[in-house]
Amino acid sequence: MINVVRQVETSIVILIVGSFVSLLLARRRRLCGWVSFAIVCVSSVSIWLAVVGAVTGPSHEHAILSVPQLGSRLALRVDPLSAIFLAIVALIALLSTLYSIRYMDHYVRDNVAKFFPVLLLCVASMIGVLVTTDFLFFLIFWESMTLTSYFLVTFESENAASQRAGLKYFIITHGATLCMVAAALLLWRTSGSFSFEAIRQTLSELLNTRPFLAHSIIFLFFLGFATKAGILPMGDWLPDAHPVAPSGMSATLSGALVKLGIYGLVRLFFSFLVASPSLSIWGIILALAGTGSLFAGTLTALRQIDTKRLMAFHTIGQIGYICLGLGTGAYCLPRYPALASIALAGAIFHAVNHACFKSCLFLGAGSVLYRTGKRDMDKLGGLAGPMPYTAGTTTIASLSIAGVPPFNGFASKWLIVAGCILAGMRFPLFLVLGLVALFISLVTLASFLKVLGAVFLGKADENFRPEEVPISMIVPQVVLAALCILLGIFPQPVLRFVGSAIQGVTGIPVSGVDASRIWGGLSLTDGSPVAFWSPLAILAALAILALISYALQRVGGARVRSVPVWYCGEEHAPATVRYPASSFYLPFKHAFQGVYPTGKVHVPKFPALLRRVLDFDQWLYAPTVKIIDRAADRVSRTHVGTPQIYLLWIVIGAIVVTGILLWVNG
Amino acid sequence: MTASFVTVFLPCLLNVVLALFLSPLCEGIMRKLRAAIHSRLGPPITQPYWDLLKLLGKEDLRSTGGVVYASLPALTLGSLLLLATLVPMGTAAPLAFAGDMIVVLYVATMSGVLIMLAGFASASPYASIGSSREMMMLLSVEPILAIALSVGAFKAKTLALGGIVNWQVQNGPSISMAIGGVAFFLALQALAGKLPFDIAEADQEIMGGSLVEQSGPRLALFRWAIWTKQLVFAFLLVEVFFPWPRVGIPLLDLTITMLKVLVVLMLVAVIDVVNPRLRIDQAMGYFMRVAVSSLAALAFAVIGK
Repeated sequence: MINVVRQVETSIVILIVGSFVSLLLARRRRLCGWVSFAIVCVSSVSIWLAVVGAVTGPSHEHAILSVPQLGSRLALRVDPLSAIFLAIVALIALLSTLYSIRYMDHYVRDNVAKFFPVLLLCVASMIGVLVTTDFLFFLIFWESMTLTSYFLVTFESENAASQRAGLKYFIITHGATLCMVAAALLLWRTSGSFSFEAIRQTLSELLNTRPFLAHSIIFLFFLGFATKAGILPMGDWLPDAHPVAPSGMSATLSGALVKLGIYGLVRLFFSFLVASPSLSIWGIILALAGTGSLFAGTLTALRQIDTKRLMAFHTIGQIGYICLGLGTGAYCLPRYPALASIALAGAIFHAVNHACFKSCLFLGAGSVLYRTGKRDMDKLGGLAGPMPYTAGTTTIASLSIAGVPPFNGFASKWLIVAGCILAGMRFPLFLVLGLVALFISLVTLASFLKVLGAVFLGKADENFRPEEVPISMIVPQVVLAALCILLGIFPQPVLRFVGSAIQGVTGIPVSGVDASRIWGGLSLTDGSPVAFWSPLAILAALAILALISYALQRVGGARVRSVPVWYCGEEHAPATVRYPASSFYLPFKHAFQGVYPTGKVHVPKFPALLRRVLDFDQWLYAPTVKIIDRAADRVSRTHVGTPQIYLLWIVIGAIVVTGILLWVNG
Repeated sequence: MTASFVTVFLPCLLNVVLALFLSPLCEGIMRKLRAAIHSRLGPPITQPYWDLLKLLGKEDLRSTGGVVYASLPALTLGSLLLLATLVPMGTAAPLAFAGDMIVVLYVATMSGVLIMLAGFASASPYASIGSSREMMMLLSVEPILAIALSVGAFKAKTLALGGIVNWQVQNGPSISMAIGGVAFFLALQALAGKLPFDIAEADQEIMGGSLVEQSGPRLALFRWAIWTKQLVFAFLLVEVFFPWPRVGIPLLDLTITMLKVLVVLMLVAVIDVVNPRLRIDQAMGYFMRVAVSSLAALAFAVIGK
């Protein structure tokens, strides 16, 4: 029997101590990177052991520190829900650290002391957020996670864009934290305790006695978590912060950190609010927010030509899917628990899948950036030849995020969309939301076909052939791409895990999803079996049919010959006739121009008087310096360097002193 | 084992053979009809078979290397044959246990994706333009298919295509399903890549679009895939929206369904002949309006009509 909480504590301690160790080694880039990787490796293994322990047996709460004056204590616990997110955090942290070892090479001017130690602290605080059962310490971990990630986003100190994006991130997320602090304090005033259990009870009491206050508190929490998760319009920090962060950090940010917002939403709605009838209303709000976010986020992503910015907008879109699933689940939970379990399982499974494919995509974009120095897709092309591994893994992740079967993105989107359509049979709004989700999944596909077409496919320039990235950067991408395929073909184990998490949080068994068979695949029940997806059967059939087709192709024994591209008889260099990314889908982009309003923030004018009062240079330092300077000047005039003059001064001084003495004495 | 052989493998084989060998015939009939409207004699009905045979023996010229590029035609045809096993064609869909309505929509998309990838990978700017247009057509057509099929799902309370067909057979025609069927038919014109929506191929402008660099057996497979696609979607339309009359004798049912499919494809061919090509933005506007109007089907379904 593994002591689950002890494992998690160990890994947090290892990370914190390790961050100091890596700080000491920061002068040697590679060494610092490898040591940090070793540290994250140890702590990730420890976390995974804890996850396994949490799945196999019940976990007990372990209190470390108690502050009875505040009604708070630092107590840790790992339930299946936190275990899922812990597994994600451990995986993504490990892979992005491994990736960053070599990636950080291309920041010549910035010291890695600002990266690896902070990254380790960030991972430690993410783990802390997931295992604490007390809101005060939850907020402390949350804040340290925000701060460390802020320093990682603003890593490039001489890049104005990164500083500006970091500032935006700082301001918006702190607004969100403020909302959560307010909510926690409002609850604390009533109950006198910060513990989750007390919050749950107080909230359900307040919902009966003072519904307005209770709903305000829920709204404040919702704002806080949704901002971190990147749900529009609060998630506006995301498309600025992701592209400027170092790619390893972008992957952590998108793969793990924004998921904690989702974790918070699940805790809030399904653990604190589970018995309340108002859950349905909040479900509709969540679903609408999610749909708005996936619609605006993805359509805006289609317009981007910066690889990483495009992916950041897709993070907003995919988080929208998760949020839609959560909302549908929340709506259905009080009345149709089977449907709720379908949508909820889809949402949490999508969170897992999103961690895999989005991190892989960010790492792929990072590899392209590392070798070519470019994020502008108009200036890239034909990289599949020189960078085959990056191209292959990015293709798999792209198809996965677009929901092409049998990759993992399809399995979870299928659950979410099926959940929506099935819920729509009771309440037609969800049918429309499900159809929007289906349509947007196609827009995602369009967007990633653009990435593949513009960056990797086609012909490369003859005079510029980048190498493939080093092996330590390939391995993380390959692992994530392999997970995309594996989780797509065998979704059953993860879904069973997700199911136990849902049961653990809501107390309702997962009756809608049947994930017990490997060959027969998944089936959804809503009274009777209504939806089916068997990846293994489909894949087998596809393989056989494709082989038959290939046999047909070869039946004539046609000879294969390699020829140049035919440009209607003209001769062109491939780079000059390449179809640029900004030309893709122009009419479609025009049709959806205004979905994401952008505006410049005008900084309010600083009052002139205050500016003058605060300007110490003007009225204090400069005049003082001037006076001292002038006085010193006067004094220095006496020092002319001629001995005779000094002698004269001495004689005059002697006369004056004698005069004074004579006058004093008599 | 023998039971699953009879219930799964044989029907799969039937659907695949039907899709594979009937699709060139349908194309031949459509060409003949087209010629008749033009007052031409036209090629013999079997011409598409001869086209395929000839292409399969011709030299295979490739502008791009790589295993993935080499496997794209086979995967494309394979994915459309897979679609054929997921769709009821005269009988119940043989792989219905493995995929529902959403899976069908996504598998259909998958075949489109593979053709587009072939276009982008072939490094010809014409192919890239064609693929980009193909994607936009898919974006405008797919919502209509989704709306039409989900009307059926809403009525039958299941996402399984077989369940929807059974419900439709038992309950007879309804306003919502009729609207859905008409919307689906309008979308079929674009799915089949026929005028006025052959914008992605547009031989006179971009010389076949995505397939401009394909030749020999590769072109044969892509052509075959496109013909299979129009046939399978015609089957889907007929089976889900107009499944009557259902006599209960499998062979007779199959014959009736095939006749209906032929009628649908003839209609497609007639529309193809009498229309000029639209611009991509016009086509998108048109399908946007169709999609919005087909929401009426949902509204009717909600009030139980």
